[in-house]
Amino acid sequence: MSASSPAVPDPADAALRGPSARERRARVWQMVQLAPIMAVLVLLFGGALVLAVLQSLGFAPWFGVNTFPDFGYFGALWGSSTFWVSLGLTLYYATVSTAIALVFGVLLALALVKIFPGKTFYKYLYKLPLMIPYTVGIALAVLMLSNGGMLSRLAAFAGLIDDPAQFPQILKTHYGWGIIAVYVWKQTPFITLAVYAVLLGIGRETEEAAAILGANRRTIFFRVTLPQILPGVVSSTLICFAFNVGAFEAPFILGGGFPDTLPVVAWRYFNDADYTLQLQGMATVVSIGLVAGVILFGYLAAYRRFERRMGRN
Amino acid sequence: MTQVQLKAVRKQFGNFVAIENIDLEIASGELVALLGPSGCGKTTTLRMIAGLEQPSSGAILFDGRDVSEQPVQDRNVGMVFQRYALFPHMTVEKNVAFGPSVRGVPRAELAARLDEILDVVQLSDFRHRFPAQLSGGQMQRVAIARTLITKPSVLMMDEPLANLDTKLRGEMRRFIRDLQQRFGITTIFVTHDQVEAMELADRVAVIFNGHLAQYDTPDRLYRQPASLDVADFMGASNIVPGLLTSDDLAKTGVGEIRVAPRRTFSAGDKVQVMLRSEAIDLMTEQPATGGVPGKIVARDFFGASVSYSVDCGEHRINVSEQARRLVDVGAPVWLDIAPERVWLLRN
Repeated sequence: MSASSPAVPDPADAALRGPSARERRARVWQMVQLAPIMAVLVLLFGGALVLAVLQSLGFAPWFGVNTFPDFGYFGALWGSSTFWVSLGLTLYYATVSTAIALVFGVLLALALVKIFPGKTFYKYLYKLPLMIPYTVGIALAVLMLSNGGMLSRLAAFAGLIDDPAQFPQILKTHYGWGIIAVYVWKQTPFITLAVYAVLLGIGRETEEAAAILGANRRTIFFRVTLPQILPGVVSSTLICFAFNVGAFEAPFILGGGFPDTLPVVAWRYFNDADYTLQLQGMATVVSIGLVAGVILFGYLAAYRRFERRMGRN
Repeated sequence: MTQVQLKAVRKQFGNFVAIENIDLEIASGELVALLGPSGCGKTTTLRMIAGLEQPSSGAILFDGRDVSEQPVQDRNVGMVFQRYALFPHMTVEKNVAFGPSVRGVPRAELAARLDEILDVVQLSDFRHRFPAQLSGGQMQRVAIARTLITKPSVLMMDEPLANLDTKLRGEMRRFIRDLQQRFGITTIFVTHDQVEAMELADRVAVIFNGHLAQYDTPDRLYRQPASLDVADFMGASNIVPGLLTSDDLAKTGVGEIRVAPRRTFSAGDKVQVMLRSEAIDLMTEQPATGGVPGKIVARDFFGASVSYSVDCGEHRINVSEQARRLVDVGAPVWLDIAPERVWLLRN
């Protein structure tokens, strides 16, 4: 007779045998569930990205051009001084408008967590620009801010200027006040929404605790509130900045003309009667992607470093 | 050490009156519990004392000085929140040092105070951890240390033990009591748990619907509640209506009960007779005099103690005693209670 014990599965044996039929079925099901989003990402986004890079390197047989790999398009672009001015303008509009929208958005979110009469109305009102298309915002900017617009006419009516034409030029300058105004108008509610949601999640207790411990409002904001709302700040500004870098309509209609922002430069290449210039346009688009990618990666890396320093893994 | 007074303090949110003219006097170094059901206004009262809410009317005085209008930063109070309100992005050390650092305490002094307080709350080994890496009890102690390091004149705690498990709750009760006695800080804490209030507090303020129902020592609250509501909230289970037939005898649905004469009651008064379950002697033999006869209809055994439900005519009376013996269900018994342990309440 031999002593026997109930068969207990050894985890090491299980590991050697590999996944069971049930686990394999679960994995297949998981892949099936992921298939739609993977198809969109790989085929549409990934495919387009690959094609864009190939074209920017001289691969466009359908236009009768195939000099792949040819870095000449990038060379011509980056070697031109106007490219760097365009890049500077693109980043300037994107950064300034994101920063202003962030300040407004955070202030608005901080105001909305407080209790005041008519709060429900304001909570609906501030979201209004989110539902209105950019083009409508651009049209409003033209109506309000142009030299024949409402503000200039009001200024003339009030006697501040003799004629609406004397009104300081806000639109179609390289300062880009019109572009920035449209971006800020549209993106402030978006940032408010993101930060407000985070503020609701963290509650008011840590701020109250800080106040009781003797902190003033400024200290409470910078040492207690801001570090806690950073996830909302980073995610919303990341999206806004990425959009602003690649946005076309506002700089095209409200911008100061040559040199244009990079998306407008790309559009001009794509719209040229000479089809072969589309390759130059594609090099511009890839450059925008590279610049935005590097900046956003750096931004995220810095944020992750900050998060790790705060004990969040 | 600071004396705290609330004089006719009232708080209204819109049309809702949260606190209605509360008068409260908390002696210097005293530990007072604000006790009441959820939504009764106890946390609002605490927040007004802290300065997080302003009274709609009335005055809050610290050592006779009106602080009702004083900003929270200038009151030098400490508050431990129910969910601790630790700064999640700061280590234990930075959480605790936050108060002194914003008050401009010199670095050397801050370091010394930090070491001392972390030692007191036994968290020196956890100083570099973040709140998310701590247990509930440890977070509680960080919150207490963060408050005590600022040397507050009044310490406030909002349901300080609500988020802890039963074992930890007992440990933290003792810990809080020891700390309070060691530092001698006037302490006010909010709770809805009458056992917690009685165990910790020198005096308990019972609040119902924004009104102060009774402010007394735990033993008087328990044995001599001022009203039926207070008696009910303090867990009194045997309250039976009766009629005082003489100064020292009440006729009730369970029989005649001897009571200690009281000046506020006289023969002919309709009363509610309160019999604390642990004050009743359960006898298996009929006593020579008195004794309310009954029959045991249920028995609940809790290990150290046992609770009986005794059918006594019109009412069932709960009797609890130490589980040195177990009387069988169905057994005839007699209940005896000393007159001075019977409490009378107005209808």
